[in-house]
Amino acid sequence: MKVLKIIPDRCTGCMRCDLACSYEQTGTFQPSKSVIRISSFEGHTSYAPYTCLQCDEAWCLTACPVEAIGISPVGAKVVADDICVGCKLCTIACPYGTMFYDIDTHKAVKCDLCGGKPACVEVCPTEAIVYEDAEQADWVGPFAAERTKAPAGPLAGVS
Amino acid sequence: MARHVIIGAGTAGWNAITTLRELDKGGSEIILVSEEAPYSRMVLPYYLAQSIGESHVYTASSSRLAELKVETRIGQRAEQIDSAAKKLVLEGGGEIEYDNLLIATGSSPLKAPVPGADGDNVHSFWTLSQAQTVTAGLRKEARVAVIGAGFISFTILNALVNRGAILTVVELESRILPRMVDETGATIVEKWLAERGVVVRTATKLSAIEDKNGAKLLKFENGPDLEADLVIMATGIRPNIEWTRSSGIEINSGILVDDHCRTNIPNIFAAGDIAEGPDIVTGRKAVHAIEPTAMLHGRIAAANMAGDDTAFAGSLLMNIVDVLDLEIASFGAWDDPEAEAFEAVQPDRPAFRKLLFRGGRVVGAVILGKTRDIWTTNDVGMLKGLVYTGVDLSDWKDHLRHNPFDVKRAFLAAGTAGQLLSKTVLGRPSVPAGEIAISS
Repeated sequence: MKVLKIIPDRCTGCMRCDLACSYEQTGTFQPSKSVIRISSFEGHTSYAPYTCLQCDEAWCLTACPVEAIGISPVGAKVVADDICVGCKLCTIACPYGTMFYDIDTHKAVKCDLCGGKPACVEVCPTEAIVYEDAEQADWVGPFAAERTKAPAGPLAGVS
Repeated sequence: MARHVIIGAGTAGWNAITTLRELDKGGSEIILVSEEAPYSRMVLPYYLAQSIGESHVYTASSSRLAELKVETRIGQRAEQIDSAAKKLVLEGGGEIEYDNLLIATGSSPLKAPVPGADGDNVHSFWTLSQAQTVTAGLRKEARVAVIGAGFISFTILNALVNRGAILTVVELESRILPRMVDETGATIVEKWLAERGVVVRTATKLSAIEDKNGAKLLKFENGPDLEADLVIMATGIRPNIEWTRSSGIEINSGILVDDHCRTNIPNIFAAGDIAEGPDIVTGRKAVHAIEPTAMLHGRIAAANMAGDDTAFAGSLLMNIVDVLDLEIASFGAWDDPEAEAFEAVQPDRPAFRKLLFRGGRVVGAVILGKTRDIWTTNDVGMLKGLVYTGVDLSDWKDHLRHNPFDVKRAFLAAGTAGQLLSKTVLGRPSVPAGEIAISS
């Protein structure tokens, strides 16, 4: 299936993905409501976006006590707002940390791949996020490790 | 055709049913024996809050069960197991032969053993029928006394406050949430509640509940009397194991199960609140009477009942609850006295984080902060991922010692997501329960 492939070396930290995502998901330009989130490394000189991998055996889906999480035609795990009660079980079940809770709607929120046209991909100026057929992978891990492992002593790379 | 008999229609039993059908598509016989129709206890607080109706509470209607080819014995109780003859005996005399038996009979609420505990307007909030009674009987501005300040009690505080109740929470121990957060966390929560008009009395032992002018009068061994219109007892739960005692099944606090959810007797499995299985952090057996463990056990037991050989690494103790927009969660060995504890607290915001390390591994965590405060509540799932994988954080330990709030970069750099991709439960894609294909 098509997944959000992240190439963190290309990320400039412009946060357009955060803004586009929050606008698509909630109608507001508010990075805190985005379900793709940028992390900074090496004193804010390098950046990487991180979001739901749409894992096959989906913790959120199996954890939901009211079956509010289904699978969309493009393979995204999606929350049905009219069924979600806001119990947050999915937020502790998802070990990737990519289930969110919207305090204004009292519902769980997650990446739904924008129905197959991910806004984050459309706005990314450097193609750091692409939407293509690929196996799920830990896109950000190796990049983050390289930028934060100090050779010795305190973590020089950590801001 | 194999016959699976499942006793109990809560989270463990329901997950076992859906998993069996995911795996065998209807190619086995399933008989569900349950006192109550299948519903989710987890959502009863939202029913009490009147944000959902009663129909939202049920996990499976009778037609849904029929679609899944489940034969039901709703309203019946299991009485005894004859493991030699592989028969389940029902109260009132019926018998059901089984090839595999799953015991998922859950737990029951305990009431404080005081005079008057069984009187009018003194309720537990555990079953649907208790929830119906409390929901229907709650008047605006009713004075409500909640006995017990544990997880169960805290799951209904929002609903009670939002329905306009005037609340007093009474706890026997010296702090609230004694099995979920430490002293520092409890102090923050108590202050948060006090500022919002919820009275909390800790280290207070209830001694009797009397009737006075149509209301309840609560007497304590220490402290002044309390008048209330409604008393809710949330003083713990106990696994429903008594009926299994004559069966030869090994029992400690719960029914002992291995990493396949098997009991000591062949073809008998146990899952959920009643089961005492491996804990992923300690490796020891424990009863984790929580929804995620019931789900996990139910799925593992079902896979093995279906003939797979599926082990699990252990269940992870975890709880999350918000009270009046303060988020509280803890994971794993959050109270491990031998772990190195790194913590940071901002009492006035409030925000609190505690990470417990053994060697280079996080074995437990406590997280507490405003629900609106993204910084505090963003990392809940990642903390679970760190404890669940036991990923090596040696390179990050010094940093986290001073910055226990900066979990995300440690999570990413340790390659936790990569480990998680292979550390799944059944190793097969999830199927939404509504989309399980049944062969005709």
